[in-house]
Amino acid sequence: MIIELRGVWFAYPGSRRHVLRGVHMRVEGGRVVMIEGPNGAGKTTLLKVLALLYRPVKGVVLVDGDDYWSLDPRTQLSLRRRVVYVHERPILLRGSVLENVALGLKLRGVPGAISGALETLRAMGLEYLAERKWRELSAGEAQLVSIARAVAVQPELLLLDEPMAHLDEDRRELLVEILRELKSRGVGIVVASHWPQDELLRIGIDRVVRVVGGEVRAL
Amino acid sequence: MNIVEEVLEITLRSLVVSGTATLLASAWSLPLAYILAKPGRLRSLMASILEALVGIPTVLLGLALYMLFSRSGILGFLHLLYTVRAIVVGQAILITPLIAVTACRVLKSARESFEEMALALGADDLQAMAIALREALPGITSSVVMGFSRAVGELGIALMLGGNIRGTTRVLTTAIALSVSMGEYELALYLGGILVAISVLVSLTVRLLKGVQGL
Amino acid sequence: MAERFEEKYNHVRFEFIAVGTGRALKLAERGDVCAVFVHAPSLEEAYAEKGVIVGGRIFAYNYFVIVGPSSDPAGVRGAKSAAEAFSRIYRAGEGGRALFVSRGDNSGTHVRELSIWRLAGLDPHGRPWYKEAGQGMAETLVMTNEMMAYTLSDISTFLSLKKRGRLPNLEVLYSGGEELINIYSAYLVESCGGAERMYAEKFIEFVAGPEGQEIIASYGEEEFGRPLFSPAASRLQELKALWEKLAGAQG
Repeated sequence: MIIELRGVWFAYPGSRRHVLRGVHMRVEGGRVVMIEGPNGAGKTTLLKVLALLYRPVKGVVLVDGDDYWSLDPRTQLSLRRRVVYVHERPILLRGSVLENVALGLKLRGVPGAISGALETLRAMGLEYLAERKWRELSAGEAQLVSIARAVAVQPELLLLDEPMAHLDEDRRELLVEILRELKSRGVGIVVASHWPQDELLRIGIDRVVRVVGGEVRAL
Repeated sequence: MNIVEEVLEITLRSLVVSGTATLLASAWSLPLAYILAKPGRLRSLMASILEALVGIPTVLLGLALYMLFSRSGILGFLHLLYTVRAIVVGQAILITPLIAVTACRVLKSARESFEEMALALGADDLQAMAIALREALPGITSSVVMGFSRAVGELGIALMLGGNIRGTTRVLTTAIALSVSMGEYELALYLGGILVAISVLVSLTVRLLKGVQGL
Repeated sequence: MAERFEEKYNHVRFEFIAVGTGRALKLAERGDVCAVFVHAPSLEEAYAEKGVIVGGRIFAYNYFVIVGPSSDPAGVRGAKSAAEAFSRIYRAGEGGRALFVSRGDNSGTHVRELSIWRLAGLDPHGRPWYKEAGQGMAETLVMTNEMMAYTLSDISTFLSLKKRGRLPNLEVLYSGGEELINIYSAYLVESCGGAERMYAEKFIEFVAGPEGQEIIASYGEEEFGRPLFSPAASRLQELKALWEKLAGAQG
């Protein structure tokens, strides 16, 4: 899967300030892109545009060559389901970890969502969290759970917003392992981070992109 | 009818009147809250106006409605004045801004976080909305309970539109006012105690239900 | 009157609380006020007996009025006494032709209303046409007007509301007579002391004395075309006798 932004400008509804200005960018399966930049520069917004959640006010979003925003809603939905964006701050529903991780599968009407979720947790070494309630989790655990939730639906593109934020050293290691595995399976990964990237380098970063004042520069 | 029976009758009436008013108000306030939770300058303005109306003095609203329902008023033909129906309508109007505004805040925050998360995970618009609504449920319930508390504890509307008539429109608050006006402070305090107890009990009951539902 | 008094003794200030007689006397009992101006002899008697209030002076009188719809379905206009008027209202009420609104709040007016029902040998409590409003005189009159019902009122509240056009459906249908005489008395509260008590005493003296009586005689004339109260001085003995009668008639 390839998502390409061409000349994308974005401003929030009702605002005249453009958060993204004339962005050109390309992400694809099997490649890892790092987006870095100061806070407020537009990293999150950029991720959301790539995740097909935000519509640009100017410019084109191409998904495998098609102009996404001029497609019909059904097609948009099926395309969007292949891309998952994970928020910086974990947003979990009331319920158990298992139920949360199964959410993506449930939304897609996949039978056996719960067992699928359990599988994912096991593969990530997190099955000990399965029965815990959403509010019993530490910040780091919640973050891993929200990532597990994304991984469970087997996306072709995974967009992570500051995934290391609440993780301690061990968990960062775990995440790196998971992302390496995903990359080797052909999943495209985009990570926005303003953290030191040392650990992330071990995933194997193919491109680093810097966002400053809404403008994107390749490095 | 002895005093205990009368107090029971008044208490029951307070519960039924304010309870009905709360259900009525919720029926139109919650959809309104949902509409106002979407972004937009006009919606924002409306929300601000409603926010200002939350604290409207009950006497003022009571007077305005009185002039409408009175024999010489536009809606006089409905013969609502000095009946419990008038109090129900009046209280429902009173608590509408409160329920709408607080539910709106809950819905707004729920939509901003849960709706977006759901969409990012591959939900369609309907699924995302359903998830946001389900997560907003505890907050909305609190909203409604708050509305009930305001209704059951208000005086101005019950007095002006109901008339505090013994046996038909006397409720806890108007009975308290009457007791005070007669200098019967002890009785007034007992009735006040019942009123507070009701509010607390309702709050606790809702909390219990939320716990049971895993909310 | 307070104004005139304050002119004479300009270091005294009055604070008036307007409440029903029942509450006024309760306030006296709690010592929250220094003097009371009331108009329910039977209640006054009870509190005087307990020693809560002392030094009572009758200073004015007027008449309660029975007001009702101009159409007068109960035929109150033709009654020969207040008790008879109430009887007619009772019969009309039972026959579904009339409603009566009571203050139901232990005020002077309410106490009088109850005594008239007793005089007529009737008990309206619990009857569907008898509405106990539990509110002040003005609100009660407004409700009476709204319901096109009957009620007992003091003349001043009725006239001032009528003047403001708030009671288009009501008229005075019966007034006057012993049963409806409304006697106003002022008392000193026993628990009051010091300088406050001294001035309270002086004020009550002022009100019952020539200056006060003169003010009373013309009060309201300008606004309503007739004075709202009559000074007690000229009929004091008669009023005292009537007061005794009313006091003994059990509030």
